[in-house]
Amino acid sequence: MAVRNGKNGLLEKWRIDEKPVKIDKWDGAAVKNSLDDAAKKVLLEKYGYAENFNLVDGRLLICTISCLFAIVALIWDFLHPFPESKPVLAICVISYFIMMGFLTLYTSYQEKNIFLVSVQKDPAGMDLNHTWQLSSSLKRFDDQYTLRVSLTDGKSKHTREQEITKSVGAFFDGNGTLVMDQFEKCVSKLHNTLATEKKTK
Amino acid sequence: MLSLDFLDDVRRMNKRQLYYQVLNFGMIVSSALMIWKGLMVLTGSESPIVVVLSGSMEPAFHRGDLLFLTNRVEDPIRVGEIVVFRIEGREIPIVHRVLKIHEKENGEIKFLTKGDNNSVDDRGLYKPGQHWLEKKDVVGRARGFVPYIGIVTILMNDYPKFKYAVLFLLGLFVLVHRE
Repeated sequence: MAVRNGKNGLLEKWRIDEKPVKIDKWDGAAVKNSLDDAAKKVLLEKYGYAENFNLVDGRLLICTISCLFAIVALIWDFLHPFPESKPVLAICVISYFIMMGFLTLYTSYQEKNIFLVSVQKDPAGMDLNHTWQLSSSLKRFDDQYTLRVSLTDGKSKHTREQEITKSVGAFFDGNGTLVMDQFEKCVSKLHNTLATEKKTK
Repeated sequence: MLSLDFLDDVRRMNKRQLYYQVLNFGMIVSSALMIWKGLMVLTGSESPIVVVLSGSMEPAFHRGDLLFLTNRVEDPIRVGEIVVFRIEGREIPIVHRVLKIHEKENGEIKFLTKGDNNSVDDRGLYKPGQHWLEKKDVVGRARGFVPYIGIVTILMNDYPKFKYAVLFLLGLFVLVHRE
């Protein structure tokens, strides 16, 4: 048993999905990240939506292309020492900074603060897949966390949004451990408000 | 398994997030690399920033000064100017003053250098049999400098273990820390 499950066992020990989330309560970035992750968990596990990775993949692609330009510059300069490599280096450097500009535009205008794009598949199997998007914001040194849920109807392409702003103190205990129950209640309420609105329209 | 709490964030990441962490690290390294190569292209010098390693140019430059170089073809080398050059076979650039120049009609030059604080010229440093330097040995001319900052580079080169430790810790921090 130990031999067969050896590899799986190591992976299981590495993953800590079930361990309660504990972060440094004074680290704003960690607080926002853990709340975002918990919201994602609620939508994906409780409601069973499928995550759509296109937005994240776009960002990963831009970053990968930028690094490729840098690698090409490095290798070319190594093979053809400096003065001869000038034109290639110039092209790579300029392209790299153009890609950086792209990246900034992409994260500011395409991604905005969205950290989850998920699809609610219609159980009937017809083309009516609804898209749920989660975005959030937490200002520096502030404790007010805003969670925005937006539902885009598959048929009418109409988008409705609902948001809630609460102090992060409502979801973390004194040690920095995330109280999942409280947060899940909050996210579910937000989700159900939007879901019922849809049904009554 | 050791309870390395600082790795908790990493253990909760999915494949894409892990890849993004690696990319993040790659982009920081790439940015530094691209700035360096960009400076190389702009200044025309293969080492646009050098650190003065010895006291042979005192009182003009002291050990630990950071020099900014350019290597434009149009700048003629004249006696009395400070040049940074590399001797064939050695990788460390030297910052000294030009003492004598022989110039041909077509612009080719051979020159001799000496450090201000040295008592003899640099012939002893050149390759055996070499008595003059040529334009191809020049890395650039000093155009500006910042005092003292280069001491960090000297320390890192004298204690390579310290350098590797710092780089390792920085790398680890970037890889593990979420934005």
